[in-house]
Parts: sequence; C-alpha cells; structure tokens
Amino acid sequence: MNLERLPNEEKLTLCRKYYFGGFAFLPFLWLVNVVWFFKEAFVKPTYTEQLQIKTYVKCSGLGFLLWVAVLTTWITIFQHFRAEWGEVGDYLSFTIPLGIP
Amino acid sequence: MLINRDVSKFVYILFIYLLLCNSVAQKIYVELNNTVPCVRLLNATHQIGCQSSISGDTGVIHVLESEADLEWPLSKGPNPPYMVLLESSLFTKSIMMKMKNASSRVAGVVVVPKTSPPEFSPHTTCPNENTGVYTETYDHNLAHCNTTVWNPRGNGLSYEEFDFPVFSLKEDNETEVIKQCYFDHNRVVNGSGLQYPLCAMQLFSHMHAVTDTATCMRRSSMDFSTSPVMVCDPLGGYNVCAFIRPYNSTAFGHKENESVVIAAARLDSKAFFLEDSTGAEGSVSGFVTLLAAAQALCEATQEAPRTRNILFAFFHGEVFDYIGSSRMVYDMKNNMFVIDLDNVHSILEIGQVKTCISINVWTYKCMDIRSNNNESVTNLVKNLQSSTAGLNFSFVETDFSQPLPPSSFQRFLRARAIPGIVLADHQTDFNNRYYESFYDNAAHLNLTYPSNLSPEEQLEFVTDTAKSLTEVATAVARTLFKQAGGNNSQVNKINADPKTVTQMLYGFLVRSNNSWFQVLGSSLRCVFCLSEPNPPQYYVGVAKSSHQANALTYLVQYLLANLTGTATNLTQSQCKKPDELPNESTYLYSYLWVQGMVPPNSTQRESFCVRTAVRLVKAVSPAFDLGDYVSKEYSTWTKSQWKFIKARIFLVASRDLEMLTLGVGVAVLFTSLLVTYFVSTKADVLFSSVREPNNAAY
Repeated sequence: MNLERLPNEEKLTLCRKYYFGGFAFLPFLWLVNVVWFFKEAFVKPTYTEQLQIKTYVKCSGLGFLLWVAVLTTWITIFQHFRAEWGEVGDYLSFTIPLGIP
Repeated sequence: MLINRDVSKFVYILFIYLLLCNSVAQKIYVELNNTVPCVRLLNATHQIGCQSSISGDTGVIHVLESEADLEWPLSKGPNPPYMVLLESSLFTKSIMMKMKNASSRVAGVVVVPKTSPPEFSPHTTCPNENTGVYTETYDHNLAHCNTTVWNPRGNGLSYEEFDFPVFSLKEDNETEVIKQCYFDHNRVVNGSGLQYPLCAMQLFSHMHAVTDTATCMRRSSMDFSTSPVMVCDPLGGYNVCAFIRPYNSTAFGHKENESVVIAAARLDSKAFFLEDSTGAEGSVSGFVTLLAAAQALCEATQEAPRTRNILFAFFHGEVFDYIGSSRMVYDMKNNMFVIDLDNVHSILEIGQVKTCISINVWTYKCMDIRSNNNESVTNLVKNLQSSTAGLNFSFVETDFSQPLPPSSFQRFLRARAIPGIVLADHQTDFNNRYYESFYDNAAHLNLTYPSNLSPEEQLEFVTDTAKSLTEVATAVARTLFKQAGGNNSQVNKINADPKTVTQMLYGFLVRSNNSWFQVLGSSLRCVFCLSEPNPPQYYVGVAKSSHQANALTYLVQYLLANLTGTATNLTQSQCKKPDELPNESTYLYSYLWVQGMVPPNSTQRESFCVRTAVRLVKAVSPAFDLGDYVSKEYSTWTKSQWKFIKARIFLVASRDLEMLTLGVGVAVLFTSLLVTYFVSTKADVLFSSVREPNNAAY
C-alpha cells in the first residue's frame, strides 16, 4: 500500500490501528509500524498529524525493543537449561530434539 | 505433428540415457551392507552403547596394527578425525577407553572379527548384581560379589557409553575393498606426507533416545505433533512354559492341593554387538539339556500320573536383569498365572553346563529356622546324587559359604524362600572365557565335526559335547521324576536321547536351516526358512505389541511341543479351531500345525497337528506395566529407536581443495551478478535494434 496517495488523517488512523493492535501480544505490528511510518514521522516536512504519528512510532519502537529483550532472555535461558530441567523442560517443549539431552 | 514426433523421440532417447547411465552418487560412494552396529540401551539410571551424529560421522580410515599404533589417530596423524579399523585381537578395553577419551579425533571404530582372543568378556564382573537376591539389605558380605566374583574376565565394555559409532563388519569382500582402499591411498610411505585424496568412511547410527528410560518413555508418550516419533522400546519377549499335566489356562491364582516342581533354564544371551549374540556355553548348553530332559521325562510319564506336577520354564531376557523370571514371579504374586508361589514346591535350574566331569550343585540354605526348607533341599540333593547311577559324571555340592551364581532362581528367592538348586560346571567363578561375547559359539563348545561330512550327516553326528550333555539331561530327568513322586523302580529306564541333543546343538549353534528343524517347524511362521544358514539371534529383542516372538522363541516352542506333545489326526482347519471337537480343549492344550516330513515318493510335506501343553507367556518387565521407570526392583532396560543405519566409504579431498572450489564458485556467482547488472543498465546501448514504424506503443 502506498502511503503517498493517502490523506493525512487516514495515515494517522492506520498508524493508530497498528499501534493498538500491537498490544495484543503482536510485536511485529509494532515493527511494521516503525518501519513503515518512519519516513512519515521523521523525514517528511511537518504537517498537522505528524506529531501524533511521531508519538505512535516512538512508542511502537520502544514496545518492540522491550519484546525483543524479554524474548531473547527467555530463549537464551530455555535453550541453555532445557536439558537440566528434565521433566519440566520436556513439558514446555513442543518438539523435542532426538538423540541429544 | 512432425514436431511432436521429434519431441517424443527426443524425450524417449533422454529417458533411456538416464536409465542406463549410473547416477553420480553411485560413482562416489561404496555402500557397505553387512554391518552390525552397536546401539544405545537405557535403564533407570544410565545410557550405554554408541551414538553417531545425525548426519553421520566421517573419518579418514586408519587400520590399526598394534596398540602403539594408536598414537597416529590420537595425536600424530595430520588429518583428524580418523575412523579406526580394528581386528578382533585389538578390540580390548584399554584401546577402546583411550579412543573414548580422545573422541574429538576419533570419528568411529570398525571391528573386523577374525581369530578368537584367548579370553574376552565384555560383560560386567558381577552380572545382574542389583536384581538378584543378594542385596545390601540381605547380606552385606554377599552383595556386589564380595565373596565370589563370577566373571573376573569381564571388562564391562558392553556397559560403557561411546559418543562415536562402533560397527562390526564380517570378514568378506567388503572388508577387502576397505583394506584395498586404505593401502592405495592412506598408507604413510616412510616419512613422506599423505597425499590427498584419502579414503574415508562414514557411519550413520543416530539413536533417538537419551539419558535414561524414564526420559525416553516420557518423551515417547507426550509428543504433540501429528506423527509421534517413538523414541525407545522396552526389551522383552516371551517365556516358553510347559506343564507335564496342564491346567486350565484361564483359571489364574492358587490351585488347591497342587504342588509343582519348576525346572528352569535361560534362553537368551548378548554380546557387545547385540545382533551378533551367540550364547553357546552361556545359555544354549543349559536349555538344550532341559529340552532333552523334558523329552525323556514325557516319555516316562505317559503311563502313570505323578503326585507333583512339573513345569518346564525357559526364561527369556535374563541377561537384562532377569526380565522373564521377574515377570513370572510378579504374575504369580498377583494371581495372573495359573499357579502361584504357594504351589511351587522346589526349583531346579540348569546354568552353564559345558564340561561334564563333575557338575557342581549350588544350594541355597535359607536362614529362616521355622520353615523346613533345609530338609527339602537335602532331599532334592539326595535325589540328584542318586540319579547319576550308571553315568559318567557326578554332582558335587559346593561349599555352604558360596552364594548362588546369577540365575533365575534368585528372583524366586527374592519373593519367597523356596528350596532349590542350580546346576553349573564351575566351582567358584565362571569357566566360560567368553561369557556374553561374540566368541561363545559352536567352536567354544567343542562342537567339532569330521571334515568330510555333508550338512545332513553333520546333523546326525553325535559329538562328545552332545554325549556329555545327554548324560546331564538323563540325570536331571531322573531327579525330576523322583521329585515329582515317581516310582523308584522306573527311574533307571529314563534316558535322554543323544541324537536329539546333537541335532539340537547343531541347529542352534551351527545351522538353523536344517532338515530336522524344518520338519518340526511351522509352515506359517516361516522363521526356519532362513535364507542364510546362520543360527538365530539370542538377544532378547524388543517387546513387540503384536503377538510376535522372535525366531529363537518359536524354535524352542515348536521343539518343546514336538518333544513333549502328541501328534493328532486333526486337519488344518480343525487344528485352528479344535474346540468344536469332543475330546480337544484349548483351555488345557495348544494346537500347533507342524510342517512334517517329505515322504520318499512325493514332494509335498505331510503336515500334522500337534497337541501340546506348551504356551508362550509374555515376558516384559513389570516396571513397564506399573509405570515405574526408575524401579530398583525390576528390570528397566529399553532400546533406543533409530531412523536408519548405514555405512559407506568414499574418497575425500583436502580441506584446501574444498575451500578453493567454494571460493571459485562464490566468485563466479558475484561476477555473474555484476555482469548482469551492468548489462541491464547499459541495455539500450548494447542492444540497439531497428524500430519498425508501426509498432504499437506500450
């Protein structure tokens, strides 16, 4: 979808939808928000809705970074300690690798 | 139409070309077919055996010449990792442990069995030490072989864990190909370095199970995906049981006023490479003796019923912590067998019997003063001693301080102090130099046949070993007869048949696909129609969910059925459903359709129906029924599953050549990308063409 041809109010609505959508445990929506509206928020010359779009993009960015931090920590811990956790580790896994602890 | 014909002709020629032409893979790899891998087994606490990586382990082949030569693969060689090829004389614990410690440089080991070493036993020094009757709580001095180490030659190699694959190859053309490849490419010539390409081998034996039985059973049962992957299987099989006077097979539990003497022997054995197990002295000598005794006794008991019944029990899975006998004791305690422990009067077990000058008798003197078991044991020994009249050997009672050797009898003693004896040919530790190893074969049992005999003549030839085992069988049959309350005057008429014994030894140890086994076998279960004339596998195998036993179990079942049962006149369809007939009952007997002989004037076999009291009783460790996978009481052995196991050899190039090829390829890729980019940007300059005036504008 080409943002060039949208009027500014619709850009704001779109950005807002993606921002609120990301709260439903969907960090990729926030990533899309940041990447897609980055030019609109920071590069383009100022227009009325740009301030709100800027807020949304910044908050989406922060939210996404938080998710990345949490997931990276959990994945590292799980991959490292799954074998030691024995039964708990197996119950938390969806597919268990064969032949290695 | 003309174009179509040409195209179809072209496609047809291409197809033929592809069919006839060898694929590139066939030009590179030489597949090795006759391999026996070492697999992973797990129990409640450990995993043992070998594991390869999921995409196989590749190593440069090195043929080991001596123990000192081990320096080359372990430290000096310039092209690690190495695939070490050993002959059987070098397959020792010290060499294997050195390779285990340097496993980053060793990709795998291949063993080529050649001559037998003077002694070799990969089993532990104290077999089944935790599941017998001598535990710490019973008597500290007798536990863990503190008094007598049963298998002093044992190096425990079967119970080690290796993280590289270990395979065994048979000595044949394939081994010659490997050695030729090694001599052509890998030999170090007097200091000058090795030239690439080198001969390498790749072994695939990726095992699915890890850690221990509890983990792998949990993972087998909890898989969420659509096609669950089974990770391991419990070991088990079937025990073969036959009563002289059968009971109703649906009535379990205690039988009033019934007293049974159990005559037991072990069926299975193992080796380092599980599928190569032969158990000549370890198990075959024992159960062949018992089969011959069963035949002799059944002929004698046709006329008069005895006061006590006799149960011939052949236990399977005894090597792996007494799977068969622990199951039978569990069934008896929980009223899942036709008799229970109160009905058992005494037990006579035949252990390893090879030499027959004197057979040692192990008795168990129980500590409980209130019971009169000591008297029963003394009676039993008295019966035994008197049964050797006229035979060339004697029974020698061992010293009171000696514990019982590892035997199924110990599992019965764990439950209750039943009087009984174990017969074996060793005084203190085992005489068997190859206990639970691949070398415990026909040659070890001194089965020698004169060289000019055909296979059929060899089948009939009575060897010395057969003669001595026949004498033991006669003595055992007479003892059982007297134990069962038989008339003393009839005793000396009981004699085992040496021809049966020698035919059984030939069939079990030299060649299973012989005419006698074919006559006695089943046409439906074509386990005797073996394409190779090899003996059956003695390893117990996994417990299959379908009611299928392994070849050894069926052989023993059909043999026992023919030796102790009666032939009937039933037709094949009647044999399948004998209940409709007035005198037949499937509650008491089982009916087996036997192939029979080929009469001289025809080609069709005269098959017949045998009515027998032989039954197959499931022998899976009670730990799996109870769901207690960390049990210290019962066997918890399982075997890992795998996807495929194969081995192949090929030539490898040096690392430098591989990197160079990769680099050139990447360079060509980038060059082509660059060229394409430039050509596309300058396309209008490069590809200027004359425009036609009436082209439609796009």
